[in-house]
Amino acid sequence: MSAICGILRGSFEDYIADALPAPQRKILRDHLAACPACRDLALEKDPTFLFARAVGDAVEPEETARILAAVKTGVALMETEKRIRRSRRRVAAGAVAAAAVAALVLLMPGARARVAPASPVAAAPAAAPAPSPAAADSALSAAALPADSASPSGDATVYDWNPGAGREEPRVVWIVDRGLDI
Amino acid sequence: MELVYSQRREREEVTSLPDKDLAIRARGGDMLSFETLVTRKTPAVVSLARRIVGNGEDARDVGQMVFLRVWSELHRYDERYSLNTWLYRIATNLSIDFLRSARSRERAHGATLHLVQEREQSTAADATRTAEDAELARLFETVSGSLSEKQKAVFVLKEMEDCETSEIAEILGCGESTVRNHLFNARRILRREIGRLYPEFLRGRTL
Repeated sequence: MSAICGILRGSFEDYIADALPAPQRKILRDHLAACPACRDLALEKDPTFLFARAVGDAVEPEETARILAAVKTGVALMETEKRIRRSRRRVAAGAVAAAAVAALVLLMPGARARVAPASPVAAAPAAAPAPSPAAADSALSAAALPADSASPSGDATVYDWNPGAGREEPRVVWIVDRGLDI
Repeated sequence: MELVYSQRREREEVTSLPDKDLAIRARGGDMLSFETLVTRKTPAVVSLARRIVGNGEDARDVGQMVFLRVWSELHRYDERYSLNTWLYRIATNLSIDFLRSARSRERAHGATLHLVQEREQSTAADATRTAEDAELARLFETVSGSLSEKQKAVFVLKEMEDCETSEIAEILGCGESTVRNHLFNARRILRREIGRLYPEFLRGRTL
């Protein structure tokens, strides 16, 4: 028994009560690992002293390599999922933006005058008489009646989303010409 | 040839970096730094998980989950704090979750059988441990069955990993008094279980 044994044996209770400062704690643990007599005494005092040391729990390099390989695969999978989610978000955002632009164009004052000549009705063959801007205008007037009721060119139906609006207010009109053979 | 040489030099440079620098570089998307971090920290993480979940196979699964969590949560790591504490926090929480899972409960029913089998066919990893450490690890697995997950985690961190109470509190996200309370109860239960299963240790027998 060395001089330090006597000193350290007095600190067993403080160790168990978690009242030892870190440096003393380390000294006691190191000493117990090296001094069988003190270890026996400590165990008599409290058998949980059995575990009062770092257990050499080696992890084989092959085991580490296997874990690393599995983690790399997992990370690659996570990154791929993230990319897919990002691209889906981009597509959805693009669709929303396109719809917003289309709605804005249609809602702009005077848009109907520009839209009407370019509509499929305007490009229809002779079998389906193409409405001129004036025809579209008259179709709009007709559309002021209940929606889905006006036929500007016989086979065409005008859908008006806000038939009650005045001429100065934006209107959204959808002309479906059944005379077209698409 | 030049490229191979430069890659090897880069690898050597990264290997010599401290933990925090590796974490910061990995956060920026540097895979080499992340791989170095995984390789460096795997033994500590798997060892801690093995103490808490009780067997090597599950500890490896937990180890993988820990590093995947680290990769996805790296943006949350605050480099003013110790990386080890952050890593231990993830490892401890995932180990506790694992213990609580249904799978672990199922395995707990066969724990005795598992221990017997493990004693008979020691794995390659066990073979490399010293006989004393392997015996101590088995003993702990047997007597710690009655501890709650938190008690077990606290005891492992305190006694086997030699963490300070304040660090354990940070790892588990609780107060120091709670840690001391868990530790006190864990010792009481372990004392009782050692006395019941291995009375020879009450008379001061060492391994």
